[in-house]
Amino acid sequence: MKKTLLAATAAAALLTTSVQAQEIGVSMALFDDNFLTVLRNGMVESAAGMDGVNLQVEDAQNDVARQLDQINNFIASGVAAIIVNPVDTSATEAMSAAAASAGVPLVYVNRQPVNADSLPEGQAFVGSNEIESGTLAAFEACKLLRAAGKSNGANVYILMGELSNQAAVQRTKDFDDILATDMCSFMSVIDRQTANWSRDEAQNLMTNWLSSGQEFDAVLSNNDEMAIGAVQAMKAAGIAMEDVVVTGVDATRDALSAMQAGDLDVTVFQNAAGQGGGALQAALDLVAGEAVDSMVYIPFELVTPDTVADYLSAN
Amino acid sequence: MTGATLGTGGLKYDHAKRHRPPELNVFLALILIVAVFEVLGQILPYMNGQSFLFDTQGRFDSIFNEARLKIIILQVAIVGIIALGVTQVILTGGIDLSSGSIVGATAMIAMSFAQVAEVNGSPNTRAVFFEQGWVDLPVLVPVVIGLICGLVAGLINGLLVAYTRIPPFIATLGMMVTARGVAKWWTMGQPVSFPTDSYAAIGAGMTPVYIFAVLAALFYLVMRHTVYGKHTYAIGSNMDAARMSGINVQRHLTLVYTIAGALAAIAAIVLSSKNLTAQAGMGVMYELDAIAMAVIGGISLQGGRGSIIGTALGALIFGVILSGFTYLRLDAYYQEMAKGAIIVGAVVLDQWRQRRAAQRS
Repeated sequence: MKKTLLAATAAAALLTTSVQAQEIGVSMALFDDNFLTVLRNGMVESAAGMDGVNLQVEDAQNDVARQLDQINNFIASGVAAIIVNPVDTSATEAMSAAAASAGVPLVYVNRQPVNADSLPEGQAFVGSNEIESGTLAAFEACKLLRAAGKSNGANVYILMGELSNQAAVQRTKDFDDILATDMCSFMSVIDRQTANWSRDEAQNLMTNWLSSGQEFDAVLSNNDEMAIGAVQAMKAAGIAMEDVVVTGVDATRDALSAMQAGDLDVTVFQNAAGQGGGALQAALDLVAGEAVDSMVYIPFELVTPDTVADYLSAN
Repeated sequence: MTGATLGTGGLKYDHAKRHRPPELNVFLALILIVAVFEVLGQILPYMNGQSFLFDTQGRFDSIFNEARLKIIILQVAIVGIIALGVTQVILTGGIDLSSGSIVGATAMIAMSFAQVAEVNGSPNTRAVFFEQGWVDLPVLVPVVIGLICGLVAGLINGLLVAYTRIPPFIATLGMMVTARGVAKWWTMGQPVSFPTDSYAAIGAGMTPVYIFAVLAALFYLVMRHTVYGKHTYAIGSNMDAARMSGINVQRHLTLVYTIAGALAAIAAIVLSSKNLTAQAGMGVMYELDAIAMAVIGGISLQGGRGSIIGTALGALIFGVILSGFTYLRLDAYYQEMAKGAIIVGAVVLDQWRQRRAAQRS
């Protein structure tokens, strides 16, 4: 009798959960970013394939304060879980605290929060290990330059993303770490500047660099958009793209097309849709009370002209 | 000291007593900044005596480093086009905060009508209007549609400012937020790339500079020699006096904001063509850069004072600073600080010069 009662309650519980849609609040750092859009769509699509999961996606418009307000609004409206793509990775303590005190599961996605090592119970980070991306790209550039017989000295320009962004800082540091290894120390940096992730700014910056007439062998960029901007500037100046190694990160559609055209040599694929889907899965698991690792890593993948065909429909 | 306390403001301002046109000061500032970079290039040991403007390595036919001269102008040409419209708005005593967002929205919409049918030999299935078959359209289609976007946005700005009497700051702030929303909504944040060759030609090479130069010359003449220009200055100097002297102020303000919107749309078309992509985040902060160019060029934010030449020179100063910082390999962190300081410095100098000119008369 007791058993049947238990089974009945369990069945009832199952029924109510499947009938009552689970509301998941999502706060994205910004909507008008290519990569984050793929991530967001990955999340929305995998939610659409599930029964009884409703996503409410909001745009924090790159504003830390607005994001915290959105999270508190989600909590107030009683969502089952919250997914946050942090505007600023160092402003996550308050978000963790707000969700923890309300007992709402919280999943950070894509950008690793500063408190990733000390997340409260019921919270997790889903993303890629940022150290991999810059390392993969710079090391491949190093190998390409060696293969081109430039191991006795190569000049490099570095294009940096927004200086306040953790990914930009980390990727630049990864470049430096690779350049400091014995195998790649033949590469020396002529100059490093920020182009704020933007193709237009990178195009202008590269043209400015070209105007100095300095010889160079490679351009290492923190993302694909800036790498493409640099490529456009070099092509406009009549530089043969097979003589220069250009690397990006993200494997955007534009970048893959540039790689097919022989302009871009290296990019790194960050599985945006995988991160979006993974974050949603982690959130649902937390709601269901299952154990979730506090750090779920989706690996980066190196993309070169040999493997580019595999990624054409990925992001 | 007595001069200051008994100052007459701008009331006794007399053009004949002016010793030199304000644009000359801006031009001198431009020369000064170039000279500073040139000297720093010679002094700083890590620069190896490289020159800022001159060709020291025999790479070009002339004595100048032509590549640098080109990029100095090229990198400010597109925001410069916006600044031409913003200048007219500021001359009426108004402000336009929406131009950067209009750039974003227009770029997205225009680019959607400029898509190629095939990318690297396979059908461009992600073209915005792929299903409708609107690919490989004649270049006129995206250009006209883009211009209409800018005209409509500008018209709404103008009507709000002229007829509802809400401050231009608020009206255009509303458009700034709305147009950015349109830019994001249009493709749900997805970038739009791969334009047709004819569309890509609009912003290729130095064409942005030619477009900027032609538009600057055109509006210089318009502002100086036409009724439109005279009315713009009149409204900015004293709106009530302009109204009483029979100028249809409301209609004229509407026109000025509409033209500013159209110029932002031209900038958007050139920008998306130059970059071969349109993205919802394009043009962020362009409105402030455009306003800064005008202000550096001596356009008074109170309205009624300044000229298109000033704005063009302001744009050049911007370009020189950007290139100069890169030339000196100045650390990225210091660049923004220095840029801000220069903008504020230009306005402080301008105020000081105005006060002195008023005292002198």
